[in-house]
Amino acid sequence: MPDVNFIVDGKKLTAPAGTLLIDACKSAGIEIPAFCYYPGLSLQAACRMCVVRIEKAPKLGTACTTTVAEGMNVTTESPEIAQARKATLQLLLGNHPLDCPVCDAGGECELQDMTFKYGAADSFYAEPKNHREEQKWSPVVYFDRPRCILCYRCVRMCGEGMDIFALGVQNRGSSSIIAPNVAPSESPDHMAALDCEQCGMCIDACPVGALTSGTYRYKTRPWEMNHVATVCTHCGDGCKTTLGVRSVNEGSEIVRGDNRDKSGMNGDFLCNKGRYAFDFANNIERLSSPLVRQSDGKLKPVSWEEALTFAGKKLRELRDAKGANSIGVIGSNRTTNEESYLLQKFARTVIGTNNIDHHRTADFVTLATALQGTTTADGKPRFASQRCVEKSPAILLIGGDPTNEAPLTAWNIRTNVRLNKARLYVANHQDIKLKRQAKAFAPVAEFGYAAFIDSLASANDFSTAVKAEEKLVVVVGNELRGGELAKLIAALPHAKFALLADYANSRGASDMGVLPDVLPGYQSLKGSTLASEYGAAGQSQVADAPGLDLLGMFDAASAGHLSALYVVGSNPIKRFGIDASALKNTFVIVQDMFLTETAVLADVVFPAANLYEKAGSVTNSYGDLQLVAKAADKAGVRSDFELIVRLADKFGHDVKTLVPFGKGLRAAGMSGDMGQTRGAQSGEADRHSVWLTANNLEPKLSPFDPFAILDEIQRVVPGYDKLLRLQLLSGNDQHIAPAASGLVQIQTGRKDLVLPAADTLFTSGSLTRFSPMLQDVQRHQASEHTDHLASAD
Amino acid sequence: MGYFGLRSAVKISQRASYTGDHMSIIKNVTAIAKGMGITLREGFQPTEVENYPDGKGPLRGARLEQRFRGKHELQRDENGLEKCVACFLCAAACPSNCIYIEAAENTETVRISSAERYAKVYNIDYNRCIFCGYCVEACPTDAITHGHGFELASLNATSMVMRKEDLLVSIKTGLPDANKVHAEAVS
Ligand code: SF4
Ligand code: SF4
Ligand code: SF4
Ligand code: SF4
Ligand code: SF4
Ligand code: FES
Repeated sequence: MPDVNFIVDGKKLTAPAGTLLIDACKSAGIEIPAFCYYPGLSLQAACRMCVVRIEKAPKLGTACTTTVAEGMNVTTESPEIAQARKATLQLLLGNHPLDCPVCDAGGECELQDMTFKYGAADSFYAEPKNHREEQKWSPVVYFDRPRCILCYRCVRMCGEGMDIFALGVQNRGSSSIIAPNVAPSESPDHMAALDCEQCGMCIDACPVGALTSGTYRYKTRPWEMNHVATVCTHCGDGCKTTLGVRSVNEGSEIVRGDNRDKSGMNGDFLCNKGRYAFDFANNIERLSSPLVRQSDGKLKPVSWEEALTFAGKKLRELRDAKGANSIGVIGSNRTTNEESYLLQKFARTVIGTNNIDHHRTADFVTLATALQGTTTADGKPRFASQRCVEKSPAILLIGGDPTNEAPLTAWNIRTNVRLNKARLYVANHQDIKLKRQAKAFAPVAEFGYAAFIDSLASANDFSTAVKAEEKLVVVVGNELRGGELAKLIAALPHAKFALLADYANSRGASDMGVLPDVLPGYQSLKGSTLASEYGAAGQSQVADAPGLDLLGMFDAASAGHLSALYVVGSNPIKRFGIDASALKNTFVIVQDMFLTETAVLADVVFPAANLYEKAGSVTNSYGDLQLVAKAADKAGVRSDFELIVRLADKFGHDVKTLVPFGKGLRAAGMSGDMGQTRGAQSGEADRHSVWLTANNLEPKLSPFDPFAILDEIQRVVPGYDKLLRLQLLSGNDQHIAPAASGLVQIQTGRKDLVLPAADTLFTSGSLTRFSPMLQDVQRHQASEHTDHLASAD
Repeated sequence: MGYFGLRSAVKISQRASYTGDHMSIIKNVTAIAKGMGITLREGFQPTEVENYPDGKGPLRGARLEQRFRGKHELQRDENGLEKCVACFLCAAACPSNCIYIEAAENTETVRISSAERYAKVYNIDYNRCIFCGYCVEACPTDAITHGHGFELASLNATSMVMRKEDLLVSIKTGLPDANKVHAEAVS
């Protein structure tokens, strides 16, 4: 649109024609108060707070509905306008309880701010206020009716943003009230309730304290908390969630999750889990002391020193006696990139085995290898970022159900369709909810995705429409992997691709090489530069034959060939339904938050910190890299990073070769040695310090500093070499694409290795049962839902 | 006395050297004599400080002004419920950051304050409190007030962190006379 020139408060401004006056002013730093206006939602013009004086207009006009026009002259603050806004506020406060001291919104309430600004604290109304009791609509959404100012943000947020339409308006005029979708007559306890996605977006949008969060209400006040923005640990979408923490006896506790700064790639959005499911971290069942199995077969709390020494020594004995390849290591899809990288380096250079794997929730190896060397029509890499889903003019969704499994992806697709008229094509074996946004829907038979990919080659309506798209982003659900995925990628030669995975760092675990057959960055075990560097740094030469995969390790254990298993933040026994007896002759070390099905079988259990209690970086399903920040803290637990380093130390390994830290770095652990002792090898060992110097980076001084490993990741992992520290440190995300060439082509092994977690909106793997909120919401949804259907008969 | 004497002596020497006026020396000596006279006279007057701590009564002779800011008291309303609604405003206003509150929600069965929220934990750290009265000023419900408690010194710093139980007025004292009978009957 062409730009128009106009004047606001004497300032000459320019904006594209069609821009709303309120938005144009905001970009110029002029703030116009607004209650009902919410960026991205439809216009309501209900509150009249945004009135401004527009020259030549007979009356004050609403800035939220007026578009800028050439020559417009606007005044946003004057005694006349202040008087109008003050009168609006006085009307709003007519029946407002004004209980700010107890109201959860107090301190971050838009009504409070405006009342303060326009001095409308006194009211002309002598009538008694019309009090109504608070209503509990669900375990996470409460409604306090007298505080509602009828801005309808919640109604629009739930309808337009979430596509749920769970909230509506009852009655008319001054008797209007906001009501949820389960009427008292339909609800088991005869109270109005919400049957919805329980995302809490309505609470976030509410400018006042009318809608409040069930988990946070009446606990503390906004200024009493520290607000730490970090990345959600639940699905693979990588939302930024802001955790409100306060100090308690055992460290610091998370009291609230919300989307305070809105600076993440999730914009306004957070789903139920990102907003409320932090409570597993405060669960009283958390382990807070190392456990070692005693001769009587019981796990007993012992000191850190005792547990680490025991585990390290025993691991060393078994390695020396039974060989490195009798030991297996299982990583996690919730630990940071640094921890995943460190763990595979531990397996490969400390123990000296390629027996390392994790619970794979999507087939990233195939994605990386199938896309290598190809580009989009304009020569860009074909890895799609989350940002592409938000902006791309056309999206093809094959398989998967983002609404349940990757809620941010679903939100971004909906927003893109709503605001940018993006064209969505859906091919699925179920009638998923996103079908409602789709321009075309292709039903696929269950397990019939191969046939669907073949049908893309023929000329039917769906495939013609999809192929005519020039800028297509293909979002692939977890139904497709291996050969089928490769075939799909070949069938749509210029499209960008993204795989949906579960958990915060599934992609990171793959990228960091927590896999038996590839090194970090999907590099080959044989002949790659990293392979030779590991050979030089490790005490044992890295084997160039692939190791055992996760199921292979348990097969070996059942056959009595696995002497030890080291499990970090994972619960394979439950997840893969493995018989507990498989591990009876294996020495098992587990690092976890809780005594999971796997941890109860262990000989040594270390209490580990979760993603909200550590610093580092994570990569979402799309390959968007972000830093996580330490929000909470709990006495008695240690980060997986620290535990791996300490275990390596007790194993008798020189920690400096594992984590490059300290001043003596240059000689890799042999301070004073300038490389003479290793002759030709010295160049290899010096590489890290040379790289640090060249990049103006200081050597890290602690062996527990994840940034020492981030440096190494940047140095050795293709794709991550382009990471921009300032981007990350300022809280932005950066899209990472694996190298364009030189990646290994792996033989397709067992298909069941990729096991999608199939988490829904209210589950998150092993954490589900440790989150009281998720349990509550599941029960609520179950009861409301059954009755809902019953009454429909 | 010593202090004033010294000041006068300094003045004398200054004036003398500046003006060389011998009459002023005589004037100054008279002034000193006059000052000393007052001092001596006062010295033989009866003592007028409070007879604390040897006086009578619970205050042991201390006499406090009405607006004296002593140890805080958390007040109750006319029904005996705690007035504090855990709004954290006192903690926010406190310049020495010595008020610690944990809030909790009243339920139908357990009602502590008259609003939705009450203070589950309310601590004031008297190691840090400077008795400025800002908390009292900030309180929207007049829940926190300065009482007249003043013997707060201790050799044990941990005992200076007072909990809600230490600060809250007892049900009986917090109620108007008419309700006291009832409260006593209940308790
Ligand atoms: S909604 Fe805002 S103005 Fe109303 S009681 Fe709550 S904090 Fe005060
Ligand atoms: S929680 Fe989410 S889905 Fe439920 S009513 Fe609010 S906005 Fe709608
Ligand atoms: S509940 Fe909140 S968001 Fe909804 S109409 Fe009322 S004030 Fe607006
Ligand atoms: S969409 Fe995924 S990443 Fe975002 S808040 Fe929900 S679970 Fe967390
Ligand atoms: S004492 Fe007063 S200011 Fe302090 S929390 Fe209680 S009600 Fe608020
Ligand atoms: S913001 Fe314009 S009328 Fe409400």
